[in-house]
Amino acid sequence: MSTATLVHVVVSGLATGSIYALMALALVIIYNATRTLNFAQGDMLMVSTFAGWAAHRAWELPLIVTMLVAVAAAALLALVIERVIIRRSIAATHWDVLIITVGLSLMLRSAAGLVWTHEDQAFPSFFGDRPITLGPVKLAPVSLGIIGGSLALMLCLYGLFTHTRVGRAMRAVAQNQRGARLMGISVERVYSLSWVLAAAVGAIAGVLVAPVTFLSTKMGIVVINGFTAAVIGGFGSMPGAVAGGMLLGVIENLAPLYLPSGIRYSVPFLILVAILLVRPAGLFGRIEQRKV
Amino acid sequence: MRRWALGALGAGVLAWPWVAPRYFVFLASLILVNAVVAIGLNLLSGYTNQLSFGHAGFLAIGAYAAALLTIHAPAIPVVVTLLLGGAITAVVGLAFGVPCLRLGGLYLSMATLAFGFVVAEVILNLDALTRGADGLRVPAGRIAGWALSTDTARYYLAAAVTAVLVAGAVNLTRTRVGRAFLAIRESEVAAQASGVSLAAYRTAAFGVSAFYTGVAGGLFAFVVGYLSPDAFDVFLSVDFVVMIILGGLGSVPGSIMGAAVVTVLHDWLAAFQNFRPLIFGAILIACMLFMPGGMARALRPLGRR
Amino acid sequence: MRLVVSLVSVLLLLAGSAPVRAEQGVTDTEIVLGCSNSFTGPLAFTGEQLTKFGIDLYFKGVNDAGGIHGRKVRTVYYDDGYKPQEAVANTKKLVDQDKVFAILSPQGTAPVAATLEYLEQNRVPLLFPYQGSPVTRGKKYVVNGMVLYDRQAKMMIDYLVLQRKFKKFATIYQDDEYGKAFLVPFEQNLARHGLKLVGAESVKRGATDVSAQIAKLQAAKAEVTFVVLTPGPGAQALKERQKIGWTDTLMVSSGPLTDERFLGLAGEAAEGVEGLSLWPDPLTSDLPGLRAYREALKTFAPKGEPNRYALHGYFAAMMFTEGAKRAGKTLTRESLMTALTSMKGFDTGILPPITIGADREPLTQGFWVRMEKGRFRQLTDWLKSE
Repeated sequence: MSTATLVHVVVSGLATGSIYALMALALVIIYNATRTLNFAQGDMLMVSTFAGWAAHRAWELPLIVTMLVAVAAAALLALVIERVIIRRSIAATHWDVLIITVGLSLMLRSAAGLVWTHEDQAFPSFFGDRPITLGPVKLAPVSLGIIGGSLALMLCLYGLFTHTRVGRAMRAVAQNQRGARLMGISVERVYSLSWVLAAAVGAIAGVLVAPVTFLSTKMGIVVINGFTAAVIGGFGSMPGAVAGGMLLGVIENLAPLYLPSGIRYSVPFLILVAILLVRPAGLFGRIEQRKV
Repeated sequence: MRRWALGALGAGVLAWPWVAPRYFVFLASLILVNAVVAIGLNLLSGYTNQLSFGHAGFLAIGAYAAALLTIHAPAIPVVVTLLLGGAITAVVGLAFGVPCLRLGGLYLSMATLAFGFVVAEVILNLDALTRGADGLRVPAGRIAGWALSTDTARYYLAAAVTAVLVAGAVNLTRTRVGRAFLAIRESEVAAQASGVSLAAYRTAAFGVSAFYTGVAGGLFAFVVGYLSPDAFDVFLSVDFVVMIILGGLGSVPGSIMGAAVVTVLHDWLAAFQNFRPLIFGAILIACMLFMPGGMARALRPLGRR
Repeated sequence: MRLVVSLVSVLLLLAGSAPVRAEQGVTDTEIVLGCSNSFTGPLAFTGEQLTKFGIDLYFKGVNDAGGIHGRKVRTVYYDDGYKPQEAVANTKKLVDQDKVFAILSPQGTAPVAATLEYLEQNRVPLLFPYQGSPVTRGKKYVVNGMVLYDRQAKMMIDYLVLQRKFKKFATIYQDDEYGKAFLVPFEQNLARHGLKLVGAESVKRGATDVSAQIAKLQAAKAEVTFVVLTPGPGAQALKERQKIGWTDTLMVSSGPLTDERFLGLAGEAAEGVEGLSLWPDPLTSDLPGLRAYREALKTFAPKGEPNRYALHGYFAAMMFTEGAKRAGKTLTRESLMTALTSMKGFDTGILPPITIGADREPLTQGFWVRMEKGRFRQLTDWLKSE
């Protein structure tokens, strides 16, 4: 395989990996605040991207407004789900919420199919498909755009968590809930906020990736890759989620290049199982002490 | 009273093929298969707090093992085939379960999810053996020179096997192992403090759960008569979780009720097509919010009267 | 005790609800047909188009015009989500409970194959299944629906080797029965011409990226790349090719893929793609059958868009109607099968005149198309796979 090909495939993998990273971040944001896993994260991404698309089709909105519509739809959906369903089970164990979100995932996918049918839809892109040529290397603007857009969003998140009151409150809750409450932070508000924030991140990821993979009710399955990415990085670690996502995207893309077709698609899952077995804390995480 | 109820139930199960239309005999067989899986999953989830989203994978291993045994060694009696299928699944379950011991909660759920995907992928790609995506036709099982080629025959096989496995599960709670399971269910920490080896019993639970599901897989292969990797996707695993959540965690009668209700609902809702996941999702959420403990707990006051 | 009484009465009720009739699924006023299909799962869109926008569309017209020999057609559909076990359950339910007369146009190789034995044993006609693997060949009660994949592969290769003089072929195919069912006949037919595939890359159903596969095919220097994928990944493959600027290969789409949906998704990346088309263009063709189809769509389902999946269902319903008409007033499963298998030169207005012989494979042809400015342009007359 020539170097030029390898570069192209790796860049393409980084683009896919950026989406996994954003999905992983969304999962980690909710996990850090509430210690629960939102299995419906991928389907929330799907529904909000569909909402943006529907608005785009109805009113011929510019793409940036479409993205804002998707983010708004995601925020609203997350708020309603958190307030109406998740809040009721606040005292529940982690797997109660996992099961509830599995139920939500089924419902969202089914409802989206009823409203928008199960067919693939073309989605407009910020970026072109014609390759940019750099010497022997050919790069697709859409791949670079996804990577750039995702990195920008990650920087925004970094700023939010380190330089704003809200962000600091969220980190405080992540570290020590009781302590945060004693400090006068409304833990419930942080719960809602983390759901909204995670959904918004998902919506942006959805708008970025939909032009490449097309918009369909099937795209919610990305949550599994997001989870794998988060585990590779160390579940709970935000830099880990980003690194894990990128790594997963690249490995997933390189596998078909070097491995026979029999094994290549099991690679992400084998990595997941291997990481869980060899180093459950992931690349960046710490093992949490279990408390009584 | 209890003996009477059991007798009546047994008589009903025996008489069913003679009074019910043919389709309902088939449907009853499916209920039995699902009930065995639900009991198996419940032994793992209900007793040792390990939620699995990969039981479709165990079912697939049992199903393919039984089907391939029947194809390549038709002389083996069907009961032995089922046991071997269960044993093979248990071995795989243990091989997978032992390293997963250290993982708690969410991680284990996700590892089992990954397991389910890998199993489907392996079946798809071992096409020399499994015929891959084209699917595998399962010949009728044989017992004492007699082929189980009708819905009724397969129903009786499923009923007999289920009866034995239900009895096994009920009696398990009376053994040392079963009491350890119950202790773990109540409090992992307290169980550990009283000398119950969490690791050992979790592994045991994994093995038993995989064995039950593998035997159910064999029954599934004979009842349905056709296998393909598409049959065993993550949504099937989720269906099994719905069964035990609806039926009640840690309850054998609850598992059976959950399996029966989900299977029958599944059948009724087939005509509603794409509304079906919507309704199942709603059931799952409603159970978690309004009916913790599932049907087993909700119906307990009736039982006392 | 009360439990036992109630249980027994329920059982008796269920047992009593099975009336015995001369021919199942046919009364003086009604014919009941049905199928198990995908309404959820990977092929949900195709399933909905086949049934609600295809079969039902045609039967609405038939029923409005008074039905077949005075009998209205009613359809029952159940969802199998592409799982064989559910297809088995649904089909048993259709035959045993809903008492359908025949199974019309179910979808998918594994779901259909899973029900074959049961339907043959019970002598229930399985008409025009939407699947192309040869598993349905040579069955007594099956009339095949799609041009079977091995025939498609033969037509594609014979045309490209003999008429277009290509020598280096590769394929990008879906990692399931649809993709694999093309792979073997591709190799066999190339071997007849003393050629072999220079590359074969699989794509997982629902993949997010196909860059590695396309890169490997480019490195193999294929002159022709067969695309055996569903519309989403198919369009992705075309876009990927555009991304790396790989222009010196001819992308050729398989029969099931050659559809306007696929073009719509790929946009300008689809320009110049060729393919085997099994159906005339549902949007623009002037054939009388297609004008009638679009007219029916406007009347009965104004929200539906013309496409080839729906057209398959529409065609299947038309063929059933013709068969049932020819079978006469006393419609039985045997008389329907006799009427269908003795059909000669029936003009559907959609395809060339249909003759169903003893092999029960009425559809054996396709024609070559090239995508030009967003439409498929017909390049050849009907090719035959005989």
